[in-house]
Amino acid sequence: MKTKKEPSPFAKLWGWANAYHGGFCGSVVLAVIGVAGTMLAYLCVAAIIRLLLSGGGLRECLPWCGLMLGGYLIKAVFSSLSTGMSHTATYHTLRDLRKSLLSKLSRVPMGTILNTPSGQYKTTIVDRVEGMEPTLAHLIPEMTSNLLVPLTLVISIFVLDWRMGLASLVTTAIGLLIVSQSTKTYAVRWKGAVEVGRRMANAIVEYVGGIQVVKAFSQSAGSYKKYAGAVEDNARYFVDWMHDNQKYMASWQSILPAVLVSVLPTGLLLWNSGSLSAADFLTVIVLSLGLTGPMIAALSFVDELAIVGTNVGEIAGILESPELVRPQQPAKLSGSGVTLKNVSFTYGEVKEEVLHKINLDIHPGTVTALVGPSGSGKSTIAKLIAGFWDVTGGAITLGDVDLQDIPLDQLNRQIAYVAQDNYLFDRTVRDNIRMGRPDAADAEVEAAARAAGCDMFIRALENGYDTVCGEGGGHLSGGERQRISIARAMLKDAPIVILDEATASIDPENEALIQRAISALTKGKTLIVIAHHLGTIAGADTIVVVENGRIAAQGNQAKLLETCPLYAQMWKAYLGTRDAA
Amino acid sequence: MFGILKKIFAFAGGKRGLLKKAMGVSLLGALFASLQFLALMLAMDMVVGGAKLTVWPVACIMLVSILGHIACAYYSTNAETDTGYHMAAEKRVHIGDRLRYIPMGYFNDNSLGNITAVVTTTLGDVENTAARCLVMVIGGFLNTLALCLMLLFADWRLGLIAIAGILCYLAVTELSQSATSKTGPARQYIQETLVEKVLEYVQGMGVVKSYGLEKDSGQAVYNTVDDSCQKALALVRSITPWSGIRQITVRIFSVAIVVAALAFYAGGTLSLARCLLMLIASFLIYAELESAGNMSDQLQMLGAAMDKANSIDNTPTMDIDGQEIASSHAFVEFQDVHFAYGDRTILDGISFTIPEKTTTAVVGPSGGGKTTLCNLIARFWDVDDGKILVGGHDVREYKLDSLMKNISMVFQNVYLFNDTIENNIKFGRPSATHEQVMDAAKQACCHDFITALPEGYDTVLGEGGGTLSGGEKQRISIARAIIKDAPMIILDEATASVDPENEVELQTAINALTHDKTIIMIAHRLKTVKDADQILVLDGGHIAQRGTHAELLEQPGLYADFIGLRQEAVGWKLA
Repeated sequence: MKTKKEPSPFAKLWGWANAYHGGFCGSVVLAVIGVAGTMLAYLCVAAIIRLLLSGGGLRECLPWCGLMLGGYLIKAVFSSLSTGMSHTATYHTLRDLRKSLLSKLSRVPMGTILNTPSGQYKTTIVDRVEGMEPTLAHLIPEMTSNLLVPLTLVISIFVLDWRMGLASLVTTAIGLLIVSQSTKTYAVRWKGAVEVGRRMANAIVEYVGGIQVVKAFSQSAGSYKKYAGAVEDNARYFVDWMHDNQKYMASWQSILPAVLVSVLPTGLLLWNSGSLSAADFLTVIVLSLGLTGPMIAALSFVDELAIVGTNVGEIAGILESPELVRPQQPAKLSGSGVTLKNVSFTYGEVKEEVLHKINLDIHPGTVTALVGPSGSGKSTIAKLIAGFWDVTGGAITLGDVDLQDIPLDQLNRQIAYVAQDNYLFDRTVRDNIRMGRPDAADAEVEAAARAAGCDMFIRALENGYDTVCGEGGGHLSGGERQRISIARAMLKDAPIVILDEATASIDPENEALIQRAISALTKGKTLIVIAHHLGTIAGADTIVVVENGRIAAQGNQAKLLETCPLYAQMWKAYLGTRDAA
Repeated sequence: MFGILKKIFAFAGGKRGLLKKAMGVSLLGALFASLQFLALMLAMDMVVGGAKLTVWPVACIMLVSILGHIACAYYSTNAETDTGYHMAAEKRVHIGDRLRYIPMGYFNDNSLGNITAVVTTTLGDVENTAARCLVMVIGGFLNTLALCLMLLFADWRLGLIAIAGILCYLAVTELSQSATSKTGPARQYIQETLVEKVLEYVQGMGVVKSYGLEKDSGQAVYNTVDDSCQKALALVRSITPWSGIRQITVRIFSVAIVVAALAFYAGGTLSLARCLLMLIASFLIYAELESAGNMSDQLQMLGAAMDKANSIDNTPTMDIDGQEIASSHAFVEFQDVHFAYGDRTILDGISFTIPEKTTTAVVGPSGGGKTTLCNLIARFWDVDDGKILVGGHDVREYKLDSLMKNISMVFQNVYLFNDTIENNIKFGRPSATHEQVMDAAKQACCHDFITALPEGYDTVLGEGGGTLSGGEKQRISIARAIIKDAPMIILDEATASVDPENEVELQTAINALTHDKTIIMIAHRLKTVKDADQILVLDGGHIAQRGTHAELLEQPGLYADFIGLRQEAVGWKLA
């Protein structure tokens, strides 16, 4: 066994299909029987020819005709059975693969999920996994059987006459040579195709998503170069590729089945010289014609082979990505104080460190505000506290226990994290709020809704609390969604609340209502808040000014105005924009 | 099968001619391929029929057959590939253009996702399978037909049996297609459900994790995965027997040819050489027809995909056969305008006038119809009743492009394309020169930060190096509106400045845009509202109050309440 080497895509795929190896092997056996049925038909005709040449008549031949029909029946029945069996194994493999991917996602760091477009996960879980279907369900049984059977035919021809055996292989050899030429660049071309397709998809998503702007500026798809260009590039890439490929394709697909080009002249010459009987000659013709069908069928999977690597790679990329390692046993926490000691952080592949040696104490029951220019790292600090990633240097403790020693579900019970846009599921309003605490009674759900200031509008909805929110909460306005998500966080009643720009995208008409809801949510809690309205947090116990991944200063408002020029400047800018009547 | 081929022809649009040519050449190629039958016939005559041995003609016929087939296959496959990919590309542009004429009301997250899926994935299926289907189906069918002609030529009785086989095969294929016609759409439905659930699972992961609901939410998506597995299997199981039936159909005719040839030989009406030829031909004749038949599932899906792409053409568009009107006056008038989304009334008899070169601020509770009112001017929808006049003409009299020449819009949510800054600004006027782009950027206070970027105006937004702050993006969207230089501006003010540091520049940019224009704005800030010539307070589809800031502040009502709430919000403190 090669232990060190990265297993090939096929080995990985075969490993994923572990539970269904029996089904796949069975389907191969059935497929082989099926193709053997076809071969039986060829052998019958060969037998009939021999009978005729030795003076036989209709009566002697008829049983062979019956057998021939039997061979075809075997082929039809067994290849159908094989297809059924291989699909059963395949779809179950795909199902398991999808489940492993989905359950893996619940174990990777939250931050990784947030930083990956959801469309990308969708493509892998749905499309790439589906892309395995032809490989598993068709390639495995059909390619195997279609390669095995010609082999037996070639051997039979060689047994009859080795010279004719060679002659019957001429076109196959030339065909294979051409095929091997054509597939050389396939993997590279396919990668390019994926790239050009991705660019086009992005351009389309953008254009359709920006339809409002498109309409407002009356730009047509044809005249907007980026859209039309990406679409045209995609078509041209494939057409160019196919044209290049076609030189080879047209050649091997025409040459490979034309076995007669070498078999007929060679056979004629050998027959004429008396070293090949007419019966053997005709038998060879029949058998060599039987070669080509399965060969072409087998070779039609060559394209699939080249794609497997890309698909498997993408799936393995998720399955093999690092997970957060946490103990199973709940930790004993003393209080809800949070401490950051020399915390540094670097995102996965990016080299650049975004937080450098952050030291910070957050005392229970206090309000701590993180402020700073966009990109300063303030939001990263909040997300690290919420356990979205592991720190890359130093440590964060909660109740004097390192976050890495606290099971995730325990940590999540301690912290309520409210962001700008919180996802609502396509279920009822009641169910969405109840997610905060699944065992909450209806009365408790409604009490939380009242406290979050959404009871009124919920009751005004068509079905009240039983109104379905729509995909992503699409049936509600942004402000309504936000208030429901606050009600959800309230129901959870966690000792630590993190507000990550929770009010940034609220329309002013609703702002006051949401502010009231937040004030209710945070009463008596340890509160960590990131806000762009400095006025909101002016009274915080501690204001932490973050700049370029470092803490520039911390203290209360009065102290900072005096000692921190950056804060003083931000405060001035805020006062300038303050929207007062 | 022919039904779908016809559909492909209809879909091919400008490539129809090429497709016809490809089919012609494909037939020629099939004739070349069938020449090997001739070679076989000559060989049989020599070996069994006692004809004089001449190896060369046989070898030459085979060579001509191969070379001719290569050339024809090369040409016709290329042409079919061209057709497949370019017809998908044409459709993509066609749908993109068509979207502009569909009322905005048709679009929501769901329909946008659906359209995107059609233009990317569904048409992707079309381009990937159309070429292959055409090659296999047309090629396979024509090859079999050419061989049948050869057979007719060798012995007409057996030729007729072979042709009867083709006809039976086609009949069975039709039968199987109508029996499985629901499989194409069913498969698409399975995929769509799966996509929906996976997206919900991934997007809701943050909530799921922070509330420890992994088991609960996982269950829903796992159930869908199980379900899609079961349904896909059921589909395969319903299709597979048909492929067996198709195989048996043609093979019965193969055996029939063999038996008939033997019988004719026994009856003395067929020579031994011809009889042997027919035995061998019984294999050749249906081989390609079978591989064509194996494409029939894919044809089925191709048909479903094309139907789906065509269905976007069936979405309602607005009546767009208006006239080219060069309006010289930029004033707006609403005359008793009614508008509803489905059953929900949004505007209920609104009338007002916006005089030329004045500023009108629209305020009111969210859901009060502010955005709808503005969008009706740009004819994102058509009114249900009443009239909207721009420059004295009903907006429905204008050609859509001609109407939009009068209007420049700035949206609350800045939407920039993943393109260069230059192209983003030029989106406002594609014919603009670089100097004009720079000039607009200067007016919108963008020039300085743009030139500070390493790639300047060629910086691609959204990719590495192109990360701009919210305020900067806002100003680029204003530069885009400035370069359009329309006499009317519809402005949906941003709710809160994304970064307060840029406030002054943003104000300068807006001033440059609105200078000397007719402005209608959805205003959120007191500052802008106060300075408006006219304030409309919209509530429940009616104009509740109208006047200047000073006038409205004196009356009790929504406006005064609104001001109060604003002051509360501004003065809000968390601790």
